[in-house]
Amino acid sequence: MGNQIITAVIAVIAVPLALLGYIIVGEQIIERLSDTLQKWIRPYFWALPAVGFATVFMVYPLLRTVVISFRNNDDTDWIGLANYKYFFTFPDTLTSLRNSLLWLVFYTSISVFLGLVIAILLDRVRYESLAKIAIFLPVPISAVAASIIWKFMFDYQPPGTPQTGTLNALLGSFGQQPVAWLVNSTTNNAALIFVGIWTITGFCMVIISASLKAISTEVLEAARIDGANEFRIVQLIVTPLLWPTITVVGTTMIINALKTFDIVYVMTNGAYDTDVIATQMFSQLEHNHYSRAAAVGVVLFLAIVPLLIVNIRRFQQQEEQR
Amino acid sequence: MAEVLARLSSRAIALSLGALLLVAACSTGGSSSNQSASSTDVTVWTAWGGAELKAFRDVLAPFQSSTGIKVHLTTNRDSTNQIANGIAAGTDLPDVAPGPTDPVQVKSWVSKGAIKPIETALGDQFSAYKDNTYPALTTAPGGASDDVYIGIVGGKHYELMVKTQVKGLFWYNKKAFTGQAPKTFDDLLAINPSQYGAQKLFCAGFESGAASGWPASDQIDNIIMRQSGDQVYTNWIQGKQKFTSPEIKLGYQTFLKEVSAANVYGGSNTALSTNFGKAGDPMFKTPAGCLFLEQATFITSFFQQDFPSLNLKAGTDFDFFAHPSMGNSQYDGNVNGFYDNFAMYNDTPAARKLMQYMATKDAQQIWVNDGGTLGAIKTLNYTDPIFKRAADVAGSAKNLLVTAGDFMPSDMQKAFWQSLLNVTRDPSSLDAQLKHLDQVQAAAYATS
Repeated sequence: MGNQIITAVIAVIAVPLALLGYIIVGEQIIERLSDTLQKWIRPYFWALPAVGFATVFMVYPLLRTVVISFRNNDDTDWIGLANYKYFFTFPDTLTSLRNSLLWLVFYTSISVFLGLVIAILLDRVRYESLAKIAIFLPVPISAVAASIIWKFMFDYQPPGTPQTGTLNALLGSFGQQPVAWLVNSTTNNAALIFVGIWTITGFCMVIISASLKAISTEVLEAARIDGANEFRIVQLIVTPLLWPTITVVGTTMIINALKTFDIVYVMTNGAYDTDVIATQMFSQLEHNHYSRAAAVGVVLFLAIVPLLIVNIRRFQQQEEQR
Repeated sequence: MAEVLARLSSRAIALSLGALLLVAACSTGGSSSNQSASSTDVTVWTAWGGAELKAFRDVLAPFQSSTGIKVHLTTNRDSTNQIANGIAAGTDLPDVAPGPTDPVQVKSWVSKGAIKPIETALGDQFSAYKDNTYPALTTAPGGASDDVYIGIVGGKHYELMVKTQVKGLFWYNKKAFTGQAPKTFDDLLAINPSQYGAQKLFCAGFESGAASGWPASDQIDNIIMRQSGDQVYTNWIQGKQKFTSPEIKLGYQTFLKEVSAANVYGGSNTALSTNFGKAGDPMFKTPAGCLFLEQATFITSFFQQDFPSLNLKAGTDFDFFAHPSMGNSQYDGNVNGFYDNFAMYNDTPAARKLMQYMATKDAQQIWVNDGGTLGAIKTLNYTDPIFKRAADVAGSAKNLLVTAGDFMPSDMQKAFWQSLLNVTRDPSSLDAQLKHLDQVQAAAYATS
């Protein structure tokens, strides 16, 4: 243990120092070169460590994962597309694919829509900051804690006994039978997605609200003078102006949805057909099926990359507009 | 920036950097060397916490004071994985820690010499240990030279048994159920709960976080081993018996009688939503929600903890009867149990002394006195009447059989547990579930 701490400390100090040494020594050599050569070589020289780190810690593991996904579990032989075939044909993984799609559609659309509506509505009231705090409050709660809170909310007791779960107590007060939210397959995925939405809507709201504040009031005043009602203003002016922000928030939420793991793991661990892609990947790893897990990882990666590209393009456009 | 840097003496920096990196290299290199065989210190890992850890400390106290050996005890719930990594990487292992349960791991660690034979650790005390301990924990059935489920490989023992528990017991509230213990499972199902003022025959609680379903698996294990015998049961664990086979299907169908809407308190949704620790609570309510709860010996502490006001006493307020016969008397001696063991990973004088000590009656008596468990030795004294009788059940067992799911590949285990939840929710899905389990079985055992 003591040795590990010393090693960690040395690594933390030695790596930056080594980089510093690289720059000092390298610069001294570069300064002795001709001006044209210096101009050509310096950017490459300074970028090299960053590129090196990215290669070792990101590009290499990525390529390795892709390679492993085509190999057998002991990494001794090529097995072609068998791991992918497993992923796209086995009933359990297909269920997880379906559920991830449910997450993608409902989690993303509802959290962004609610974030937008709440941001617009709160913009028009005096207690805006107070209401915003209340809605933002679940965001800093860790997903595991949120899941445990909601496990209590969804708690089920036999019909005819006092319901300790808030939701079933509420149903009971209207004379309804309790619902086993997390067991019943018509409600369990919706219940999990709802917890996800509860934890993230505040985040969507804050980002959209910030962008909303940047819309000049003169534009809105002009529209009002021209006789537009508030609904038309939101529809024809506010939403289009917010569109770049909504896209960025939306793509971020899609990535979140595809990566969903903690809520499902804590609340059901995939029982009763609630597995998603990420929990599927985790259980493959847990069961020592490394190459299958790699294949799931590659599929997830390929699904996320286009969204990342959209996001980066959006950022670039916004930069250009400034 | 460049000028500032240039002003610094580059040679001095390079020199000090070099020295620093050298130190780093040395310090990392040093940590992988094995510690020398100690006769004064022993490192021990255990997964226990809470009351179980306290009991273990009580066991260790007299050992430390009489031998002067210092025990460095660490609670490590991921010990098997960490030891596996340690063996692969050639780094330090604890001297003494639980042996692996995965049969593949047992064999591989033995062949690598990572775990040392108990015969070596105990020396001339070995035969006494073997004579005193429940035979089911130390003897392979039929005189076989291998029984990886109890750590026997090539005729040698690799796991020192220290504690055991019995599963598949039917617990009841003595104030509610006043009848005779049923002889057969059919007799059990024929009991009319309303005769004793209870709503339903059974209580059940299968929720257990990420491990939900294991309590249901205990129930079906106890059915199958008595219904179709230990050979079918062991083949099934090893993946040689299909889930769609008549024996396993019959096991599922019998299990479904225990959790049918007519027999289980609150219906299937209650069984699926209730945590195993709270499953027995309705037995102690008035009127009683159910008559019986099937669970292992450890459950008594949950009863007492959930009803502090009732001050429940083992033997006077609640009791158990052993799992009734499934009507196949030749298999009545099959009992489901689990055990705690220690294996020796470094053969040091101190580690040997500790292993020798834990195999003694004196040490195990301390464990038993702290409550909540049976020892591995047959002749301990139990003050708790419940554990006294549980010890009789363990002692009279012809075969003490392990819990099936724990020894299946982990993906098989998860699918098995979840299938029990699914058929409890929807019994009509049984055939589809079993077919799916066959698919998982084919895939899981092929790669494990």
